[in-house]
Amino acid sequence: MDNHREDTTHFGYKTVPEHEKQAKVGEVFHSVAQKYDVMNDVMSAGMHRVWKQFALDTSGVKTGDKVLDIAGGSGDLSKLFAKKVGPTGEVILTDINASMLGVGRDRMLDAGLNVPAMQCNAEQLPFADQSFDCVIVAFGLRNMTHKDVALKEMQRVLKVGGRLLVLEFSKVWQPLEKLYDLYSFKLLPMMGKWIAKDADSYQYLAESIRMHPDQETLKQMMLDAGFNHVDYYNLSAGVVALHKGYKTA
Amino acid sequence: MIAPLVTRFLQHITQQNSWAKPHLTAFAGQIIAFDFSLMRMQLVVLEDGSLATAPDNAMPNATVFIPPSLAMRLASGDEHAKTLIKVDGDVHVATEVSKVLQQMRWDIEEDISHLTGDIAAYKIGEVTQSMFAQAKKQTTQFAEMVSEYWQEEKPVLAKKMHVEQFNQSVDTLRHDVERFEKKLEKLSQQIGSSAEDTDTHLASSVKKVQSTKPKSTKAESTKAGTAKAKTPKEST
Repeated sequence: MDNHREDTTHFGYKTVPEHEKQAKVGEVFHSVAQKYDVMNDVMSAGMHRVWKQFALDTSGVKTGDKVLDIAGGSGDLSKLFAKKVGPTGEVILTDINASMLGVGRDRMLDAGLNVPAMQCNAEQLPFADQSFDCVIVAFGLRNMTHKDVALKEMQRVLKVGGRLLVLEFSKVWQPLEKLYDLYSFKLLPMMGKWIAKDADSYQYLAESIRMHPDQETLKQMMLDAGFNHVDYYNLSAGVVALHKGYKTA
Repeated sequence: MIAPLVTRFLQHITQQNSWAKPHLTAFAGQIIAFDFSLMRMQLVVLEDGSLATAPDNAMPNATVFIPPSLAMRLASGDEHAKTLIKVDGDVHVATEVSKVLQQMRWDIEEDISHLTGDIAAYKIGEVTQSMFAQAKKQTTQFAEMVSEYWQEEKPVLAKKMHVEQFNQSVDTLRHDVERFEKKLEKLSQQIGSSAEDTDTHLASSVKKVQSTKPKSTKAESTKAGTAKAKTPKEST
């Protein structure tokens, strides 16, 4: 296990020692935290709201359920889930990045929602086994150093009958690939430079999307992590995919 | 883009018809496909008893086939049309979910009331309903008019009475042909049996003739053969 930790990993297209990735991803999000929501709206033309709403709609979460929002950042999903589970349910917002979590916590307070915010690493979740009905990670798995370990942790904290939702960029429909590349590698860093004053972070975003496993690979990774059944939806021609993993035993 | 919109609408409808959730929860995780020939829609029952579009990689537990002609009959409230729906896979799931779906109603007035208030929403609903009823009436009248024109003025369609007459004639013809076939069969059987009798009779006659012929020895027959062979030579 220790040898495994000493291995290298990718940070966008760069290869870095594993122990450095977390800090580098941290820098990216510290840099963009305040402009994160604006950038999301600009980059996706508001589509990220539709994708998140869809994740909520297909979650099957009901009043009184317990939900864990991993890498929840600015708290978009925590806010939606908190309304869905109602006062008898519970949503916990987590993120490894203090700057992002700060933004999310403030937004929850401003919205008058009682959502505890907790800074923690998804690879070592500080929760007991079988604690949640639903775990969601939206646009966060891509940045994790050991995705397999994180997925196992998510499976561990789920109750039997619970499900994991992974909303993440994925492999786009082949005829649109060239257009998508042009957008990701030319327009995206330019927008990052103008709006968030940080072109490098958005260059990293484009690269990290390309390095992320495609739909079928991620499905297999979830099955390997112990999920009994995994389904996925392609959204916006595969720009984003929503994977739903079931823990039935 | 379609999946999120359809799912949003389904969620909205199941929320309006909250009575349906306990019925659907029993089928959580089941996927039902509705095949309308021109389009296909797959729905999944979620854990909370609501509905969503099915995942892209999922296989349906049951498929309900509703061709467009049947869909129109169902929409017009034809009870007999329900018996013509074809189902593949888990029939129980398809039947139960379809039953619930048929009873679900979209309360448009309730949705409009959030924008315009209750009174205006009620009025809009009333006007919309009367417009739909009027449109339905007009469509029926137009269809009747067109069918009458095609039956009387420019006969493209057959009249019901003529179709029935034709069907009766076809039935009569079919019965006649069947009777004729049976007669033909009987006749050929009879011919067959009489031919067999003739054959047996002929065979027995041949046997009789053979048995009455005087028996010649081998030597005699050889002699006769030699004599026959010599004859041409002698003639020369």
